[in-house]
Amino acid sequence: MEVALNWYLGLSAILFSIGTLGVLLKRNAIVLLMSVELMLNAVNLTLVALSQSMGDADGQLLVFFTIAVAAAEAAVGLAIVIAIFRRKLTVDITEINLFKF
Amino acid sequence: MAAAPFMFFLLATVSVVAAIGMLVARSPVYSALWLVLNLFCVAGLYLTMNATFIGVIQILVYAGAIMVLFLFVIMLLNLDALPQLEEIDWGMVAGFVLGVVVLSQLLYVIASGFDLPMEAMGASAETGSAESLGIALYTRYALHVEVAAVLLLAATVGAVMLAQKRFE
Amino acid sequence: MFGDFIPLFIMIALATGLALTLLKAAEIIGPKRPNRIKRTPYESGMDPIGSARERYSVKFYLVAMIFIVFDVEVVFMYPWAVSFHDFIEGGAAFGVMVVVTIFTVILLIGLVYDIKKGGLDFEQ
Repeated sequence: MEVALNWYLGLSAILFSIGTLGVLLKRNAIVLLMSVELMLNAVNLTLVALSQSMGDADGQLLVFFTIAVAAAEAAVGLAIVIAIFRRKLTVDITEINLFKF
Repeated sequence: MAAAPFMFFLLATVSVVAAIGMLVARSPVYSALWLVLNLFCVAGLYLTMNATFIGVIQILVYAGAIMVLFLFVIMLLNLDALPQLEEIDWGMVAGFVLGVVVLSQLLYVIASGFDLPMEAMGASAETGSAESLGIALYTRYALHVEVAAVLLLAATVGAVMLAQKRFE
Repeated sequence: MFGDFIPLFIMIALATGLALTLLKAAEIIGPKRPNRIKRTPYESGMDPIGSARERYSVKFYLVAMIFIVFDVEVVFMYPWAVSFHDFIEGGAAFGVMVVVTIFTVILLIGLVYDIKKGGLDFEQ
C-alpha cells in the first residue's frame, strides 16, 4: 500500500472543515483566531502535498508567504483583541458589537 | 514496507483528534495546547512528504512563535473559561451544517477530481531542501519577499499602535 | 527519503514515553503523606496571597510580537544563507545581497518604530 496524494488532500479538507467549524461555533475571539490558524495550516498542507507530488518548489514557496501572512494576522488580530478587551472587558464575540448602532 | 502508510495514519489521526480537541476544549489554554499538538503532527506529515525545510519552519514559527503569542495574550487577559455551547441556538446549528457542507464539498472534489499517485514523492527530496527553495525565492520571487517584508512591517506598526495604552 | 526520519520519530516517541512513564511512576510508587501545610503553594516561605494568574503587562505581548516578526524574517533568511554559494557561483551574489538588505532594512524600520514608541521600555 502506497501513500497517495488524495490522503493528504482529504486530511487537509478535514482539518480545514474543523477550522471552519471553529470559526462558526466558538465564541471566544482568541480561539476563533486559533481556528483561522488551523485553516491556514490545512491550506499549507495541500500546497506542500501538491508541490511534492509534482516535484515543483513553487507550492512550498507559497507556504513561506502563507506563514508570513499567518504571523501578521496573529499579531494584528491579537492586538485588536487586546484593544477591545481594554474597552469592553470581554473577548466573547457575541458581546463585541462596536459597529452596532 | 508499510512504515510510510503507518506513519501517515498515525499522524493524521492524532492531528484530527487534536483539532477536534481544540474545538471542544473549554479553556482557551487547552485549545492552544491542542493546536500545538496538531501543528506538530502536521510538521511530521511534512517530513513524511520529504518537505524537510517546511517541516522545520512549521515547528519554528507556528509552534514556537505564534502559539507563544496566543498563550501570552491568554495570560495577559487572564480569561476565565467562557461557557461554551450552553445553549444551542439556530446560529450554531446553521454553523455546524455549513461546516459539514464545506467538508463534504471538499471531499467530493478530492474524490472525483484527482487520481494522482504520490509516486514522485520518494524521488523529490531535492525539491523540499532549503537550498532549492532559496534559489527560487531570491531570483523569481525576490519582489514577493520584499512585499512580505512590507506586510510584516505593517503588522508590527499596527500591533504596536493597537496594543499601546495611549490608544483611545 | 522518508526512511531517514524514522529514527527521529522513534526518538520523539521514546522521549515522550519516558517522561510520561517516569512522572506516572513517581506518582504511583512514591509515598504520599499530604497535610495541609504541604499542599499550600510554595511562595518563598510566605503565605500565598491572591491568585497565581495575575494579569501581565502588555509589554510582554509587544516583545512576543517583535519576536514573531523577526522569527519570520529568519525563516526567509535561512534559504538565502544556504543557497548563497550557488548565487556566488552563478554571479548573482550582489543582486541577492541587495534584495536581502532591503528586506532587513524594511523590518528594521518596524523595530525602530517600536523602540521610538516606547514599546520596549519596561520602566514606566
